[in-house]
Amino acid sequence: MTDFVEKLRVLVGDKGLITDDAGKHPYLTDWRDNYLGTALAVVRPATTDEVAGVVKLCAAEKVAIVPQGGNTGLVGGGMPHEDGREIVLSLNRMNRILEVDEIGYSMTVEAGAILKTIQETAAAHDRLFPLSLAAEGSCTIGGNLSTNAGGVQVLHYGNTRHLVLGLEVVTPSGEVWNGLRALKKDNTGYDLRDLYLGAEGTLGIITRAVLKLWPKPKDVATAWIAVPSPQAAVDLLSGAHAASEDNVTSCELMARQGIDFVLKHIPGAADPLADRHDWYVLLEWSSTRARREGANETGLREKMETYLGEAMEQGLVVDAAIAQNEAQGRAFWALRENHSESQKREGPSIKHDISVAVSKIPAFMKDGLAAMKQALPDCRPVPFGHVGDGNLHFNCQSPPGWDKKRFMAHGEAISGAVYDLVVGYGGSISAEHGIGRLKVDELAHYRSKVELDTMRAIKRALDPQNLMNPGKIVRV
Amino acid sequence: MPDTVIAPIIPTVPVTPAVLEGLRAIVGERGLILDEPGKQPFVTDWRGSTVGTASVVVRPANTEEVSRVVKLCFDNGIAIVPQGGNTGLMGGATPWPTHSGIVLSLGRMNHVIEVDPVGYSMTVEAGCVLQTLQETAASHDRFFPLSLGAQGSCMIGGNLSTNAGGVQVLRYGNARNLVMGLEVVLPNGDIWNGLRSLKKDNTGYDLKHLFMGAEGTLGIITKAVLKLWPAPKDVATAWLAIRDPQAAIEILSEAHGASEDNVGSCELMSRTCTDMVLRHIPGTQDPLKADTPWFLLLEWTSSRPKADGAEGMSDKMEQFLANQLEAGRVLDAVIAQSEAQARNMWVIRESVAPASRAEGPGLSYDISVSISKIPGFIDKGIKAALDILPSIRPYPLGHIGDGNLHFSFMGPQGMDRETLKQYSPAITRAVNDLVTSMAGSISAEHGIGIDKIDELAHYRSKIELDTMRSLKRALDPKNIMNPGKILRL
Repeated sequence: MTDFVEKLRVLVGDKGLITDDAGKHPYLTDWRDNYLGTALAVVRPATTDEVAGVVKLCAAEKVAIVPQGGNTGLVGGGMPHEDGREIVLSLNRMNRILEVDEIGYSMTVEAGAILKTIQETAAAHDRLFPLSLAAEGSCTIGGNLSTNAGGVQVLHYGNTRHLVLGLEVVTPSGEVWNGLRALKKDNTGYDLRDLYLGAEGTLGIITRAVLKLWPKPKDVATAWIAVPSPQAAVDLLSGAHAASEDNVTSCELMARQGIDFVLKHIPGAADPLADRHDWYVLLEWSSTRARREGANETGLREKMETYLGEAMEQGLVVDAAIAQNEAQGRAFWALRENHSESQKREGPSIKHDISVAVSKIPAFMKDGLAAMKQALPDCRPVPFGHVGDGNLHFNCQSPPGWDKKRFMAHGEAISGAVYDLVVGYGGSISAEHGIGRLKVDELAHYRSKVELDTMRAIKRALDPQNLMNPGKIVRV
Repeated sequence: MPDTVIAPIIPTVPVTPAVLEGLRAIVGERGLILDEPGKQPFVTDWRGSTVGTASVVVRPANTEEVSRVVKLCFDNGIAIVPQGGNTGLMGGATPWPTHSGIVLSLGRMNHVIEVDPVGYSMTVEAGCVLQTLQETAASHDRFFPLSLGAQGSCMIGGNLSTNAGGVQVLRYGNARNLVMGLEVVLPNGDIWNGLRSLKKDNTGYDLKHLFMGAEGTLGIITKAVLKLWPAPKDVATAWLAIRDPQAAIEILSEAHGASEDNVGSCELMSRTCTDMVLRHIPGTQDPLKADTPWFLLLEWTSSRPKADGAEGMSDKMEQFLANQLEAGRVLDAVIAQSEAQARNMWVIRESVAPASRAEGPGLSYDISVSISKIPGFIDKGIKAALDILPSIRPYPLGHIGDGNLHFSFMGPQGMDRETLKQYSPAITRAVNDLVTSMAGSISAEHGIGIDKIDELAHYRSKIELDTMRSLKRALDPKNIMNPGKILRL
């Protein structure tokens, strides 16, 4: 295998190759410390041609490839196996913004560009790239595309796949598919783009993308709202569409347990409201029309104030604070975005990224919390999520003081109870995080044979040697 | 079909008497059409330009019957051409003359299964006529936005299989954006139940998007969960005489803000195009007696009813048009004062296809480029066509907000179809070369079908064609599902 590694070195140079254990380590373990894999080498190509060269070499030598972006995935999709026969192909050197087209509302980027850099580049051109999620400071767009990431603005702009016009992909044989089209309409055969999006790197490696841009919001109102129940949150959102004139961009539901963890573990975090409440909603409205005297005198903040006042009279709102400036708005968002980090610091937890129809959230919440408690009475449920998408992070924190091993002994019972319930509700067992390694068995359990066979047929057709991120999504 | 297209190799296993009996046992006498006059409408395409053959037209009544028919064909290696309303423009639903298998029409599967106004969704069978679905949504105070000329006879299964476009793509997206879930009968007869009504579901490959736009070559869509929107409550429709296509783009660009993001449609038409409609379609009236070469049909739609005293869409549009008049982009304009007036404007736009049929032989290209390149494309494209055939009569029109033009030509006065056909390959090559040089698409919304199979092969990379072929072979190993469409294997 030293021979193979030397061939890699010829292709990508010393800068593009990591072979020592300490250097490889961050690429072999995931953010949640659930996996620790091994790899022949970590390869970091600088261009699409280098990616193609590496993939061709691997195809010839029958070495499997695990593509990796920012390594912030939650289901092990970017993690190598433990047998040491794979390479990790990191896109993190391919991080350039290639073109911004303000007039055409599009941007062409390399796969390793960090999401936050993309957001900031768009903003510098008075445009918005709406994908936004907690890991945005380190996740890369290639990973976002490969997992069809969700985040906090799906309600208004759609999932990642809706934010893309074209792709460039290196296929498992090492060919480059140039699908970098910036067209709104193109009915010329099978929709390869949507096949690669969400395929978690099992059908090819996304190397570039043409992203859609939107006008930058000019008027934003953010509120931190205590609500009496999840049903109230759903009702509050339902009325907000009309009250905001279709400008609801985020609506996040949180339970008190998650807030408690954030206040405990995140320095500087403060409760915006005086009293303790069971449920909270973070509501944000954004408009591309700047507030100005005469034409658009009533800004969103005033509209939101009026709406929340009415909602309070109807009993949908218990208490609320509207951010008076950007810093306050940021502070509200930090409470939401630090949920994962504070859960990690609190100790072991199990994540369930599920979706049901929006109108079923209240009933699911009730049944789901009961099911979790029944599986492990001392566990601490941390439900939160994107109400408008029907998507809940239905997480379960260990009882206080338990170590991972002790808690994980109950993992199967807890997850089984949750997923059975989800399927009973006609929902999805992975709304936005994907399948990766973590949910391969669950997917096999809950999906029909026809569906699994069809996915396998596609995988075999496009990756006949099964070298592209093998063992993820479906076993072939 | 273009004379230049040589029929691809497709399975030619005949429907034997035994298989026919099998089919009869599945769908009954009502579900079979065997006589030639009865089959004729199913083997001829809407334009009358492509005529194929079929042993039998099979019309199943439900998904189970579709599944059993397909399984029987699969076991015997018999080719299947799925068909909806048969309004396609590329021959995708028309059998090849060498076809010896069946046409499977979804026309009897026309039930709306469920409307969920609260969840803004509707579950329907593939054979539902588009207009019926629009009306069903409207009767629940909801809106299903797909809208196109053939809506009175096209079926939703065909719309999804071709990822249809139409006049509301600007705001709501193509057909594939209007769908949450699908049920599909696969080439071996298995039923894939993907009828999910979830906004988020990241569980493996996106099969739904693969089947949509595949023109029935990977399976037969039998049911769908469609997304609905709030019903429009305040609509303003206007007919504008405009300076030129560049003005059209600038008008649209400013209309987004002026309408507060409520632009529903923006359709460009050349005067030659509207004159053709007025000439052939009884009852249509010129909304403006303006002697100008370009028109724009502009519609703004809001789901919020106009409040008493407040500015409605019409008021906003009036102000906007006055500004555009001043800027010299608009030369004259009229806002429809009644629904009947608005209908008249729309009838002109929607009657372009039937009018062109009445006009006689012609050529039409369904292309897209990025929006800002539209004016340049029109200029260069017309010039390229006139260089080849100086007396050809261009009548461009299109959905400019999508960068999509129906780049169309009437044949020269008095020229018959056969003579025009001699010029067609050269003009086609010139137009598609231009599209490709401008990084555009040679089929924006109509698909590939039979007509563009060689054009696609010419302009697409080997790796792209190979990838598509791999998918086709993987999902339809016997090549019985609409063989010889989109790709040659």
